[in-house]
Amino acid sequence: MKALQAALAAALLPAALFAQTQTVRTIDFAKEIHPLLEARCASCHSGDSAQAGLHLDSREGLLRGGKDGPAIVPGKSSESLLILKVTGQRGLPMPPSGPRLTADTIALLRAWIDQGAKWDLKAASADQPASIAPRNPPVPPGQSSNPVDRFIEAYLRSKSAVMPPPVSDSVFARRVYLDIQGLLPAPEQLQAFIADKSAGKRAALVERLLADREAYAENWISFWNDLLRNDEGVIYEGERKSITKWLLNALRSNMPYDQMVQALLNPVDKEDPEGFLIGVNWRGVVSASQSPPMQASQNSAQVFLGMNLKCAACHDSFVNRWKLRDTYGLAAMFSDAELQMVRCDVPTGKTAEPGFPLHDFTVPFGQSLPSRRAAAAKWFTCRENGRFARTVVNRYWKALFGRGIIEPVDDMDAAPWSQDLLDWLASDFAEHGYDLQRLLSLIMTSRAYQMPSSTEGEDAKEYVFHGPRPRRLTAEEFEDAISCISGDWRILTPRNETFAQYTREWRLKSDPLSRALGRPIRDQVYTERNTQASTLQALELTNGPLLRGRIERAAKALLGQLPAAPQNIYDSKFMRRGVASFDVDITGAKDLWLVIQDVDSYDPARVIAGWAHAELYGPDGWVRLADLPGPTAPAYEFNTATSVLSGIRAAAPSVLHWSLDGRKFTRIRAWPVIDAESNRSDINAALRFFVFTEKPEMDRLVRIHAEPPQAPRRTEWSAGALVDRLYMHMLSRTPSAEEKAIAIRMVTAGGQRPTTEGLEDLLWAMLMSPEFQFIL
Amino acid sequence: MKSESDLYRGMTRRDYMRQTAGAAFAALYGGAPKLLAEPAPKATADTLILLWMAGGMAQTETFDPKKYTPYEPGLESSRVLSTFPSIPTAVDGIRISQGLEEIAKILDRGALIRSHRVGDLGFILHSRHQYHWHTGYEPPQPLAMPHMGAWIAKLLGPKNPDMPPFIAIGQNMEIGAESDGLKAFHTAGFLGSEYGPFMITDPRDAVASVQPPENMRGGRFENRYQQYRKLVAASPVLRDGSDYQRESFLRAMDNADRLLRSPAAKAFDLTLEPKDSYDVYNTGRFGLGCLLARRLAEAGARFIEVSSEYIPFRHWDTHENGHERAIGMKQWIDRPVSRLIRDLEERGLLSRTVVVLASEFGRDMMTEGKPGREVKDQVKQPAIMTSPQHYGMHRHFTEAGSVLVFGGGFRRGLLYGETAPERPCSIIKDPVTIPDLHATLYAALGIAPAAGVTIEQRPVYVTKDGKGKPVQGLLATT
Repeated sequence: MKALQAALAAALLPAALFAQTQTVRTIDFAKEIHPLLEARCASCHSGDSAQAGLHLDSREGLLRGGKDGPAIVPGKSSESLLILKVTGQRGLPMPPSGPRLTADTIALLRAWIDQGAKWDLKAASADQPASIAPRNPPVPPGQSSNPVDRFIEAYLRSKSAVMPPPVSDSVFARRVYLDIQGLLPAPEQLQAFIADKSAGKRAALVERLLADREAYAENWISFWNDLLRNDEGVIYEGERKSITKWLLNALRSNMPYDQMVQALLNPVDKEDPEGFLIGVNWRGVVSASQSPPMQASQNSAQVFLGMNLKCAACHDSFVNRWKLRDTYGLAAMFSDAELQMVRCDVPTGKTAEPGFPLHDFTVPFGQSLPSRRAAAAKWFTCRENGRFARTVVNRYWKALFGRGIIEPVDDMDAAPWSQDLLDWLASDFAEHGYDLQRLLSLIMTSRAYQMPSSTEGEDAKEYVFHGPRPRRLTAEEFEDAISCISGDWRILTPRNETFAQYTREWRLKSDPLSRALGRPIRDQVYTERNTQASTLQALELTNGPLLRGRIERAAKALLGQLPAAPQNIYDSKFMRRGVASFDVDITGAKDLWLVIQDVDSYDPARVIAGWAHAELYGPDGWVRLADLPGPTAPAYEFNTATSVLSGIRAAAPSVLHWSLDGRKFTRIRAWPVIDAESNRSDINAALRFFVFTEKPEMDRLVRIHAEPPQAPRRTEWSAGALVDRLYMHMLSRTPSAEEKAIAIRMVTAGGQRPTTEGLEDLLWAMLMSPEFQFIL
Repeated sequence: MKSESDLYRGMTRRDYMRQTAGAAFAALYGGAPKLLAEPAPKATADTLILLWMAGGMAQTETFDPKKYTPYEPGLESSRVLSTFPSIPTAVDGIRISQGLEEIAKILDRGALIRSHRVGDLGFILHSRHQYHWHTGYEPPQPLAMPHMGAWIAKLLGPKNPDMPPFIAIGQNMEIGAESDGLKAFHTAGFLGSEYGPFMITDPRDAVASVQPPENMRGGRFENRYQQYRKLVAASPVLRDGSDYQRESFLRAMDNADRLLRSPAAKAFDLTLEPKDSYDVYNTGRFGLGCLLARRLAEAGARFIEVSSEYIPFRHWDTHENGHERAIGMKQWIDRPVSRLIRDLEERGLLSRTVVVLASEFGRDMMTEGKPGREVKDQVKQPAIMTSPQHYGMHRHFTEAGSVLVFGGGFRRGLLYGETAPERPCSIIKDPVTIPDLHATLYAALGIAPAAGVTIEQRPVYVTKDGKGKPVQGLLATT
């Protein structure tokens, strides 16, 4: 570990790198030469139309050379044409565009040639592509009923290791609740589970949690959203096609995985998800490598088959075996027009030939787009394509263990730490109808999943499986945990809806807090979250207003100090222009609040809006609101497109309050109005008007519909009982005496009873504890 | 004069690197990004301040004035090239637009580029052009590309360990329609979140982002942290072992706590600025952003962007009434930009600080996009003006824009590039593209145009495909 840290510290100091080329040492081809060839030579010297017939993308290409002869003579850099060219000693100096290679770089090239010009791409897997065919290895002999464990036991034996005892009930429960539902187990659920003495209770818990399809879908949708680049309301060109509804249904109904992918790649029914093939597009001219069919090609290969075609979207790849024609061929399967192949922004004059990048098997197709798409969907998902199942099984293993059987998960040509386990899991998954819930159940009921988490061998050269890795909570799990603990769930307010709803985090747009915690902006496919700690993230957690606000509410909710938000008695809904009107009953009201919410005006400071003809009805008949004692709101003549209305002007946003005590008013009527001037392009008013008779909460103006996902429990707490409950809920255990003493001191701030501030501080401290932040 | 950064010593760069090395562990993209070995040019500056004229600053109304035609009803739009007369500057032979008198006086400290040519991305979308300018790559991209500030943070690290290396001032990210476009490039992308922007929307609130709130002061904040560390230490679960992830999490918490209690935090507090200086800068949020940038540069920030803020149809995005709005925008920038340069100079910082003022494209009254290439028009500009609302540069012009560069190794009093005196006012001399402009800025900071990292086994460079070339004519010969 020390050595690794030193290496990292060095890697962060560029100065140390720039001094590397001085001494004679073995040149690392993969790191030092290969990127150079890729960057400076490949755009001309690769592929079907390589300049001078010279291919600089393989050792064979260099040895064979082009029209001027071999490019290199291994061992003899001074005789190598490559060196003569880059030094300008022979013909046009290469590369012809961009800066000339520096003396240091040329020295590197020379040293590499003099050392034999070895083409050693350790990390890359071009030499031995993984087998595509499915494979069903025999399950090793053993006692375990779960075949996964037989493979793991055999594997551990081969490493001279044994299966350690399983984790405790509480650690297990926290794992499965978070892994299936993304929620912490409530203390009552946890205690009931621990008290249960039946033999098969762990498997039963897994089955019970999986059976709650709603909670399962609301958790796993984030995993799939990352892979499928699905996000609500992210717009670059028109409305990006959301697939949320379909995806939720697919998860709720446990749609077989092969059917899911068929629908994604070949959406034919009205309900089918078109969004995946459409991709993420921006207005204007898009580079050829990122046209929707090319995005579909790269994304489908990456997500469903663990193949990286991104390099090969511009030119034949240098780091793997894929060629430009592979990427275009697959793209042509999803394109309604012929695709002109473009290499590095230069048209090649060739038309892409529809086809598949793996040639182990094929699926026939016709000329029409529907025929090609249907064939593509079949090709990806057919049983012959063993890689299809391997890829998803590996992703699920990573989700549950923190590391895949193959890493990186997007390079399924890399070597697995257990080929047999991977192949068997994939083949079993396919045989059982690509059932994702069954896959989860199979893995989560294994002893392997119940091994204590381990970080052993993290910096070893070759990974050895020692059990799951501790996994950081995702942004969604973190946010939902706060809701679970406090019962204070977040609110989703669609702009044009009458009602708001309680929601889990995933439905809300990302914010600085969730982005700091690794929630991605899904412009690209994300097959792995960045859950790495960083100073900026810690700053957001320590001092950010969003988490502070959540903790303040959570503390109040736990102490019963958070009454339900008052409900409005009038809601104009979203307005951009013009005038609305209302006439509502306020019998018995002692106070009146008129609220203007700024939804997203471009320049709220210049919005002209207000309340026209506002009048109250009481024992003396109609009375003008402006005549009552109250806030100073200037009189204003509002222009609408059709008329002039007189009333009082109010800012966007604004809250105006009048006391009505003793006046016995029974009705209020008024016309919420936006002046036509505010429709100018640089003001662009976007408002919502509300009336309340109780003091409103500004972030809960819209009525909330339905019950929260988990009902809040309010109670009187002694400090000790509160601390016990928080430990049980957040960490699935009771506190030690020492912890309890510290926690009680915090929560009571030195007094007898829990205080709101004390509880805020304790909640923060527990949320920030590594034990909470990680699934152990 | 003793610089403020002297106050913030006490921790070496190496210490900081050791403490933050965890970030390099980002397991994303199949492994942490690896730096490419690329020989670095000699740095002439340590800090970069980007003054971002968001929304498309009309070059003909600012730094590239053309023939002035005053407004009169019935005026033909096609006759108008500039709606302001020009004024002389501190440099003989360079005239700029009326309304920029203060900047005119300090133009001898920097270089004016009139031939900045941005990308041709078709049907104009501001956030897309801004993404292109800030990352060097046009969206969509198969990888999340890092903002220029993130590259600099990654390649150079912080200058003062208590100061975030990449600070972005002035841009609210929730602006309605184009929010997502802004978020897409205000990111460290594949470099990992450690290198992402420290965002300050309103400079007046900056101090709140590095200081505990009012109700956490008086010892509560310190006490909370102490109790927290005690609780963590008391955990029986983690007592027996630790691992890299958990350690790096605690270390990050420690760094944040240290930053929040660091004297460097004072730099964020504009109330500590003398009133007369504050007033000079205070033309509004952008002006105060310039003041904050100066204070942060003094305290050792590495990369600071101050945005005039992009909101569709606001600020420089003049779709109507352009003349009036240009007056306002020039009032916004003139005094603070000029004062920023003078202040840096007085403090001896300008020689090692690059200040660059740029925009995603220029504007014109007639041409939308690039001359000769039709794109979808977004502005109704009548052939004959009937109202002052019609008088101004309302269309998006991507053929030519103006850029100012001051300090840190750039030539002084230089005019670089030229546009034609008649419409379409195309570049007729020395075009400077985004990759080349970036390469020049990076070169001043000691970063090669082909510096970069390997990600998913492929190289990605600070300038597109590593092909940017520093514009030697802009750089002072040493």
